[in-house]
Amino acid sequence: MVKFWILHGIKNGILTTKYPKKKPTEEEIPARSVPPFAAPESNWIQGQETCPTDAIENNTNSLDLGRCIYCRRCSDAGFIFDDNPEDRHKSLQAKISQNELIRKEVAGIFSKKTNIFRKSFHILMIDVGSCNACNLEVLNLSNPYYDLTRLGIFFTNSPKHADVLVVVGALNKAMVDVLKQTYDSMPEPKLVISIGACAISGGIFKETESFVSSIDKVIPVDVTVPGCPPSPIQILQGLLLCMNKIEKDERIPGSKGGL
Amino acid sequence: MDIIQTVTIIGIFASFASASVIGYISKKTCYTLGIIGSSFGIILAFWMLLANTTPIDLTFWKVTQHSTFEFSLSSFNAYFLLICCLVWLGTCLYSLRYDDYPRGLASLLVLTMLSMVVIILAGDAVSFLVGWESMTITSFFMILMGKGKPDVIRRAAFLFLGFGEASTVFIMLAFGGMFSSFGSFDFLSISTIHVSGITASWVFVAALVGFGLKMGIAPFHMSEWLPIAHSNAPSNASAILSATLTLMGVYGYINVLTHLGQSELWWGWITLAIGGISTLLGALFASVSEHNKGLPAYSTIENNGLIIVAIGVYLLSSYYHLTLLGGFALVAALYHAFSHSISKASLFLIMGWISKVKGSFDLNNQVPISKDERRGSYLSGIITVFSLAAVPPLAGFVSEWMILEALFQSFRFGDVTSQIIGTITGAITALAAGIIIIAMTKAYGFGILWSGTTDLKIKNVFQQMLSIRTSFYYFLFLVVGIGVMAPGVFFLASSSTNQILQEKTFDTFVTGLLGIPAYFVILSGKPFGGFSPTFVAVFMTGLLVIPFIITRWGTKWKVRRTHGWFSGQNQPNDTFELYNSFGYSTPIRIMLSFLFRTKERIIQVGATRRPVILSPEEYIVEVEVLDVFKKFYDILTKFTLSLSYHTARKVMPGKIFVYLIYIMAAFIFVLLYTFFIIM
Amino acid sequence: MGLIPSFIERKDVAESSDSIQISAIFEIEGRTLALLSDIEKKRTILSTVPSKLSEEADILLKSEEKTGAQINLDTGSKVEGYGVFSFSYGPVSAGVTEAGGFKLITYGERIVKVVPQINFKKRGVEHKAIGMKPEDALLLVERSAGNFSASYSTCFVTTIENILGLQVSSRSRWMRAVAIELERIYNHLHVFARLSETATQNVAAAEANVLKERVLRINAKYFGHRYLFGFNRIGSVYQNHFTKDRRKDLVNDIKNITRDFSHLVTYFLSSRIFLDRLQNTARLPHLDALKLGAVGPSARASAIDWDDRITYPIEPYNDIFVEIETEDEEDTMSRTMVRIREIQSSMLMLEQLLDRMPSDETMSDKTSDNGLNYMQDNFSFCRIESPSGDLIQVVQLDKEGYIKFLHIRPPSLVNWLPFAKSLEGNVFTDFQFAYESFGLSYADSDR
Repeated sequence: MVKFWILHGIKNGILTTKYPKKKPTEEEIPARSVPPFAAPESNWIQGQETCPTDAIENNTNSLDLGRCIYCRRCSDAGFIFDDNPEDRHKSLQAKISQNELIRKEVAGIFSKKTNIFRKSFHILMIDVGSCNACNLEVLNLSNPYYDLTRLGIFFTNSPKHADVLVVVGALNKAMVDVLKQTYDSMPEPKLVISIGACAISGGIFKETESFVSSIDKVIPVDVTVPGCPPSPIQILQGLLLCMNKIEKDERIPGSKGGL
Repeated sequence: MDIIQTVTIIGIFASFASASVIGYISKKTCYTLGIIGSSFGIILAFWMLLANTTPIDLTFWKVTQHSTFEFSLSSFNAYFLLICCLVWLGTCLYSLRYDDYPRGLASLLVLTMLSMVVIILAGDAVSFLVGWESMTITSFFMILMGKGKPDVIRRAAFLFLGFGEASTVFIMLAFGGMFSSFGSFDFLSISTIHVSGITASWVFVAALVGFGLKMGIAPFHMSEWLPIAHSNAPSNASAILSATLTLMGVYGYINVLTHLGQSELWWGWITLAIGGISTLLGALFASVSEHNKGLPAYSTIENNGLIIVAIGVYLLSSYYHLTLLGGFALVAALYHAFSHSISKASLFLIMGWISKVKGSFDLNNQVPISKDERRGSYLSGIITVFSLAAVPPLAGFVSEWMILEALFQSFRFGDVTSQIIGTITGAITALAAGIIIIAMTKAYGFGILWSGTTDLKIKNVFQQMLSIRTSFYYFLFLVVGIGVMAPGVFFLASSSTNQILQEKTFDTFVTGLLGIPAYFVILSGKPFGGFSPTFVAVFMTGLLVIPFIITRWGTKWKVRRTHGWFSGQNQPNDTFELYNSFGYSTPIRIMLSFLFRTKERIIQVGATRRPVILSPEEYIVEVEVLDVFKKFYDILTKFTLSLSYHTARKVMPGKIFVYLIYIMAAFIFVLLYTFFIIM
Repeated sequence: MGLIPSFIERKDVAESSDSIQISAIFEIEGRTLALLSDIEKKRTILSTVPSKLSEEADILLKSEEKTGAQINLDTGSKVEGYGVFSFSYGPVSAGVTEAGGFKLITYGERIVKVVPQINFKKRGVEHKAIGMKPEDALLLVERSAGNFSASYSTCFVTTIENILGLQVSSRSRWMRAVAIELERIYNHLHVFARLSETATQNVAAAEANVLKERVLRINAKYFGHRYLFGFNRIGSVYQNHFTKDRRKDLVNDIKNITRDFSHLVTYFLSSRIFLDRLQNTARLPHLDALKLGAVGPSARASAIDWDDRITYPIEPYNDIFVEIETEDEEDTMSRTMVRIREIQSSMLMLEQLLDRMPSDETMSDKTSDNGLNYMQDNFSFCRIESPSGDLIQVVQLDKEGYIKFLHIRPPSLVNWLPFAKSLEGNVFTDFQFAYESFGLSYADSDR
């Protein structure tokens, strides 16, 4: 049996992604985690109407990634996605600005001088009302394709041991106190990452009766990872940003080959 | 006999005797006199151990040529006197506030102490037996004063009396054997003459059973925990019973052994086997005990087992003429007796206080108590529990290390069987030392610490007084002191064994090593292991303090208080929602069910009567742990009871206590009378 | 009016038969209706609540409350005895990974009773959907349980198409089946990986995780989304480049995965440590499974042979070879075996589906008929076999085409009580095995 696994392992080779040393491959960033990147200006109003989560704002001509659930209904309104490389040239003609949700920097903690999380980083995931897709993507980080532990990141079971709180899901009424309590139980210094459109803005569930607010209204959020759900590599980017292992500019937000 | 000895001996007897009389009038005066008497005892013991090592026989009434009432004062019994008096001093201090029992407890307590003084100082068998009997009887009455159901208390007290009398019978047998060899009863002082031949074996077995009954070792461990646990005896009495009454067994056993000369091979084997089994049984049953005082009582069985193991190594070594190892084992036994008595008394007193405030002796019954009530119990409790669970550098660790080191050297025995028995006993002892950690965590966690960790509403409010706290800190000081200053205690213990071993052992076992100055390293045989509790203590303190200073230097003190983590839920406001001590040890009950004969029953009530099998109306859970020995004694008791029921009613249709006191008095009288006649 | 009388049929049947289990219960137009499944005769009965099942109905109804607070799924039985206490687990825990908890009533180690705590994250999808356009509601429905998204959206669009009488191309329906089977495979692989992880068979867990990630990447490659969001549309599917060549690639990928999975299973089943942890753990007796309404692989492991793909096949399933996988050992091992065999049969099905998929967009002559022909007053329902079991959605549209009523009966919701029942008398360490083997999801039950 042991022989089998060893041979099997040698035959399969290294599956683990080269990220962050190299850029992620196309396979690692699936099509549906890429937002529309271009559209003729005349289609903005139509796009705004079709968008179920108000991610497209007509007056500022911007796309709020924190709200986008990547449903692609705006493709009916002429918004362009780069599934086909041939489509890309269209974007060059249409000058559209993309406006991401402002990501707050964490002051002091991971400036170059005090990189206290660089070597060992313990994460605790808390679900405050997700559809389980984000949860699974966070769990997927520990599979051999992404292999968190090679970067010194570990899952932990208790907030008392956690450095970062990974929040997924649209904040539910029943989970507000739990979230606060969990955050309070964490030792200083601590970071919070909110993952997915639901956590950042409420996403598709923002008008349900049990939704309270986005996470940053309840506890201070340091890094956000947009997506519905974001792919594991995007979550990894968020974590590495917390650990100060990559610069903010190196981030490849939800894009295939960069924007 | 110098002036100090005279004064202190008179002081001890005068204080205790007057205290026992005054006890019926004023408790406080009685306990204060008890403290004074104990202090005299401590002074005397130190005087004997440090200054004057020549033994003194103090004959004060020569009855016949064979029989005298005489006191023997040597460094050997001074060592035991020291332990007892240290325990009594703390207990009396504690009792000043604790005792709210009916009148008489104070007197009985002091009388018990007085009887123990008589036992320790007795130079002849008659005084010893008189002390022994009166100790049993006073203890019996103290147990009767416990709070609880009258029939349960009575049962427990009579069980204690039954075991006590059985012990007396066996001790008399042993003394009889010795008398036949010596031709005199004045044999308890250290002498160079020895019993030999078949008589020696007889004396050995009778002494093992007789003193073993008092020490509560297997298979007589009912005698230790049952009276204490079942009757909820007063806690100060429990401390005296468990810490010093069992010590009398150790004292008597070692004392008799010193008169037996060349030991037989099988003595060592039996002693090791009984010691090992007691250690394991005590540790196991302590870890599943749900009684505030049953748990420490079981732990006493474990510790007495360890002492017996050390004595077993001593016996085997003396058979193989391994003087060095034998000396080390004997010193280990004495050291362990010291550390155990002090720690156990401390644990009983703390548990007793918490139970009194809680109003319950059930570990599972989690009643929060106010911060004021708990003062002193946290710190003192954790040090005591660490000592009993053998955490370095405390006293319990040093003595357990010594016993295990002695067992490690069983390869020195000249016989394969002895080597194997020694090794197996070592393994069992080490296993028990691991298991006792579970029991001690449980005692501290659920018995002492838990009661302060919740925001639940506080019910009972007592006022803790200085005397309670002082006694806690007094024992804390002793536990740390005898651990960290182990070489000092080692000096006392070895000076008390000098006469037995006929050589000075202190210099052999205590030296300096690897830069540690002389008199700070304990060596177990040459060349084997070494350990320096003092320097380990210094090192550990350094490990704690230095990082603390480094991390805190120049930074602001920042304390953030958060609640406990209940996996995201609010702090429970009902004890049903909290993990309890029963749940803590149920895994052991289930895993070791072959040993405990655990019976788990989950009865589903109303499951079949319903039209739909959704769920029963009620689950009834029953978990039982069976002690095979208890079963045996239960059958024995039942048989005896049914037998005596039919006979006793016809013979004596009156009050049973009157009869009992009469019988005891008659017994002592007959004992004395016989000696007059014979001599 | 008009709706109710014609649907309350065969109430006498519901009262008489023993093999009837309650599937869904909902209030519509002021009446409480129940969907009952006759396990033996393989049929669905729409009826008022039969009196002999009222107890189960109560618990089901209780779990339907719309709240922002948790609900204890308690059967109400008391537990008495020395040392009994309640051990809370969740809502923040590493084992469950979702916002949901349990109360384990225990005397330490041995579990006497389990009370699942649900609705920590009930989002009220059904309530929110009222008054929405079906295509808007679809986004909501497919995101209510992320890992069962394909089943949810297929169930929803099929019901809507049924009501509207829309013509759908066969190709779209076949693609939906492909998505559902892919979903089943990765969910079962997830269960398999978690079980291996719980038994600390780390190599097996890593291998299963690799396979799962490969399936997720197939999802992303061919359906655009790793969790199959957004591929279903009402009346069609979102198709990009599902050409014949790519289908062949997909078949190859699946064959590779099949081969690797059979290797994994062979070596997994030869690990005695693993089998020892699974066998005899958390038994769910057949009768309990029936009465408590267990569905899906967990029910099939207790010898209940009910699979919506066969009982109520939507279009491609009546055209291809499907088999019900059952076991009768009733323990965690059976549940795992059912899942393993379902992965294998799903892979076979996928090969068939992709091989014989119609390549043009000709409309299907069949309606979205799966034998459930209750279609009146814009009211219809559909049953789809999701990875964790039978998923039921009941939809009513108003005259303008907006949603008037939506009821989702997720498989996890009805599996909580069988799960709780199966754990009685087991020890703490069995808990995680039972939880994973039932494939329960809080997102699913708290839709």
